[in-house]
Amino acid sequence: MYNYYFGRGWKRYLPYLGMFPALALYLIFGVGPSFFTALFSFTNISGVPNTPWNWVGFDNYASFFSLSGAGRDNLGVLTRTIIFCIAVTLIQNGVALFMAVLVNSRPLGHLFFRSLFFMPTILGVTIIGLIWNLLFNPLEGPIQKLWNVFGQSSEFLGSPSSAFPLVIFVQIWQNMGFSLVIFLAGLQSISRDWLDAARVDGASPWQTFRHVTFPLLSSSVTTNVLLAIIGSLQTYQLIYVLTGGQFETSTLALQVFKIGFQGSISGGGLSRVSQVQQGYAASIAMIQFAFILVVALGSQWYLRRRETQI
Amino acid sequence: MSSTPEIYTQEEPVVKNLTRLESTLKAGPGARLRKRFSPLRLLTYAVIVVFAVVYLFPLLYLLNVSLKTNLDFINDPTSLTKTFQFSNFADAWVKGNFATYFVNTILYTGVSTLLQVTLALLVAYPIARGYVKWGRFFATFFVISLFLPNGLIPQFQLMVALNLYNTQIGYILLTSAVGIGPFLIIGYLKLIPKELDEAAAIDGCGYFQCIFSIIAPLVKPVLVTVAILHAIGVWNDIIGPTIYLTNKNYYPIALGLQTFKGQFSTDWTLLAAGTMIAALPLILLYAFFQRYLIEGAVAGAVK
Repeated sequence: MYNYYFGRGWKRYLPYLGMFPALALYLIFGVGPSFFTALFSFTNISGVPNTPWNWVGFDNYASFFSLSGAGRDNLGVLTRTIIFCIAVTLIQNGVALFMAVLVNSRPLGHLFFRSLFFMPTILGVTIIGLIWNLLFNPLEGPIQKLWNVFGQSSEFLGSPSSAFPLVIFVQIWQNMGFSLVIFLAGLQSISRDWLDAARVDGASPWQTFRHVTFPLLSSSVTTNVLLAIIGSLQTYQLIYVLTGGQFETSTLALQVFKIGFQGSISGGGLSRVSQVQQGYAASIAMIQFAFILVVALGSQWYLRRRETQI
Repeated sequence: MSSTPEIYTQEEPVVKNLTRLESTLKAGPGARLRKRFSPLRLLTYAVIVVFAVVYLFPLLYLLNVSLKTNLDFINDPTSLTKTFQFSNFADAWVKGNFATYFVNTILYTGVSTLLQVTLALLVAYPIARGYVKWGRFFATFFVISLFLPNGLIPQFQLMVALNLYNTQIGYILLTSAVGIGPFLIIGYLKLIPKELDEAAAIDGCGYFQCIFSIIAPLVKPVLVTVAILHAIGVWNDIIGPTIYLTNKNYYPIALGLQTFKGQFSTDWTLLAAGTMIAALPLILLYAFFQRYLIEGAVAGAVK
């Protein structure tokens, strides 16, 4: 069937031996826990070791969707998760595509600009969170100064009306460079012949982009849209460091962490639960998973179909 | 495109486009076009500069605040610094306990990255070569957890049950477990001829010896990419340490900085200096390895 050169008998199994440590680690700490999340979601297990727990059937799911009591913020959480996903995906990719086209026209220093826009990707959320907390500082921050010039003033990350849009902004600021780099790679793989042909035919820059460049970029678009959707539905680290989920900024992903490990529910100061509820958090992780599955598969299907049509 | 026929009915555009075409031909294939000044070009620069400001200003502002004296910051926080108060950095370093955090971060990142790259190579090689059954299944299996439900809760219970909670070794094992490493390496390995293995084996080279002394040097670029992507992930991880490391002596820099922020939430010159301390190694690393990073990110995403 296949050639193996490194001996016979037991030596034939050396490749399996080599794979074993990685497989074991991955099963124990990676993929195993993911599967067990489903089981945990049917229990009322707490985060406190050695306390008894019971099977509770679908109780966790029921209380999540009851939208009252402990779950009364959940409608807001769900709405925000959807808004976060749509806004991040559309704006991030729109801006990234636009900037990629500009950078690809090779202005002076285009390599520097590419590096600059990509840099937040490596800085990590703690640093990014601190930088934007400094900039959005409502008392003495530079953005407040700018606002004051226009006779405005805002609490920025400390107010329910402005915090969530700002979180979306910082999320896009952090990840735009990543999408840009992928678009740039796509743009550079487009043969000059296509563009020259369009020029010779008298197409304007916009026509060239609309009818030649953009269709040829469709696989980059698919990649970027999927990454942005999955990313925006799974990441919560940035929201955690910017607002801690306060001021109506929490999404499903952050709720899993907050309820599972911090023992508080965002939004209502009255509904704070002093104990962590890991069974409940696991059920939210499952709801989040279902959400991602539907959205990702749906958009994958649509984008692939669009690719083949082009 | 639909306007193709129309062009030939108009005199002027044809001539215009022909001269453009001629200049293209003269410049040769692949040469840069459109280098002349135009309003569109000016607009391009304007937009790029505005964006560059949005990306550069936050960092410069951070640097500016970190160099101010406390009094200067209170009087006029947004003005350009009049002093170079490097003592902020020394202060932050001591008060924030950054020395311990740095040692921890380097330990976690170093060991975890070494482990991840080694294990990923050991998985990728036999799959790429067809030395194991179910190769395609394994290749997919190692990335599937990126799409499965968030496993934080069972993982936590497991760590507690295994007595790995609040231990450095536990945290390192945890971070080494998952990654797209094998996926990236497999693609690269397929470019290396299999005859090499045969020749090595005939010369008496063992299986593992062949991987580490013959294959590894040949696939070094992709190993560097995997290492850097993984290292940055571990270096910046905030959730893992928040959950699993409660002992302050085990904190990595990301969590240390977050705690530092809680402690000195109003002392912005100190906080800015602390943030600079945490950001500087990353920025330096980025300056040296950005090509690997950007290419690695593209390779990882597009596959």
